[in-house]
Amino acid sequence: MISLMLAFLKIGFLGFGGGYAMLSLIYAESQTFGLSLQQFADLNALDGMIPGPIAINSATYIGQLTHGFWGAVLATLMVCVPSFVIVPLYLHFEKRIKNNWILSAILDGIKPASAGLILAVAFTIMLGTVFNINSIGAWAKANFNWSSLVVIIGVLVLDLKYHVNPVILIALAGVFGAIVYYI
Amino acid sequence: MNKNWLLFKVYFTAGALTFSGGLAMLPMIQREVVDKYHLMAKDELYEYSTLSQTFPGVIALTNACFVGRKVNGVPGMFWAAFGAIFPAFTFMLLATILYQLIPQRGIILSIMSAIRASSAAFLFSAAYTLARYNLKNIASILLAVFCLLASVFSLASAPVLIVIAGVVGVIMGSQKHKEAKA
Repeated sequence: MISLMLAFLKIGFLGFGGGYAMLSLIYAESQTFGLSLQQFADLNALDGMIPGPIAINSATYIGQLTHGFWGAVLATLMVCVPSFVIVPLYLHFEKRIKNNWILSAILDGIKPASAGLILAVAFTIMLGTVFNINSIGAWAKANFNWSSLVVIIGVLVLDLKYHVNPVILIALAGVFGAIVYYI
Repeated sequence: MNKNWLLFKVYFTAGALTFSGGLAMLPMIQREVVDKYHLMAKDELYEYSTLSQTFPGVIALTNACFVGRKVNGVPGMFWAAFGAIFPAFTFMLLATILYQLIPQRGIILSIMSAIRASSAAFLFSAAYTLARYNLKNIASILLAVFCLLASVFSLASAPVLIVIAGVVGVIMGSQKHKEAKA
């Protein structure tokens, strides 16, 4: 329980740039708590269907799966700590740190890094769903699953080109999965 | 009307109705806090919203803390924050409990597999969006590719890479800062 709390405290303080930028951190921590790649992928699907910030939803989900109700409560509280600490501190020293260049410089480094990191997480989940392996090192054991590849390409096209609502896309993917079952 | 209750209500409604977190709820907050109840000037709200994006942590929550604190001190901060967190936590808790109860066999497993694949697609899409807005020069592209490769080949963990990226940002920023001063 303590390690769960520390993990989400770390995610909060290192989590610059919001939800998707934080997901690579959340994925790394979820691995240390023994979450499977499938459970992490399911977290993303639930994130898409449930309102609220991704970091809060993730803390609730991982806390509940690993330590039950109190795990969910404490993990969520921990990811909120940075906001409660930083806001009063900033307002107290507002006049002295206004327009400080260091904060935006940190962000200038972290934003491109987040793009690379989230691409790595996307790639890892693709390996899991299309090839049934959990890292590039296990390539020899790959077992190709055509229906997952169809879903990935289909959802990407509908999302990027036609801007279909994610909730509808998740539902469509589910329907497609049901059809595949009967093929 | 009590300010704490008002802050709670505004952030609760915004939190319950926005799916992506972040500042997607800003227009709703503006309508209530600025236009309807005049608790804060529009400029001030936007200034603190921009700030909440530069700090680590949950952006929507940091925004709630700023507004709550400015409108009604520490109690205001906690009520606004509680409103921002509560719907996300409650809905997700119920969804997770349901998810744990569903037996993953047969057709359910097939549906879940397809939904898992869609989650990879959403992450690719998020990576594309982040890349499009943040890869503006050679240095940032190199940094992104470095983090991608280091992560895929398990050379370094995400937290370590984030810290490295922040330090790189400060080093590059300090040079710009010196040039700007000179």
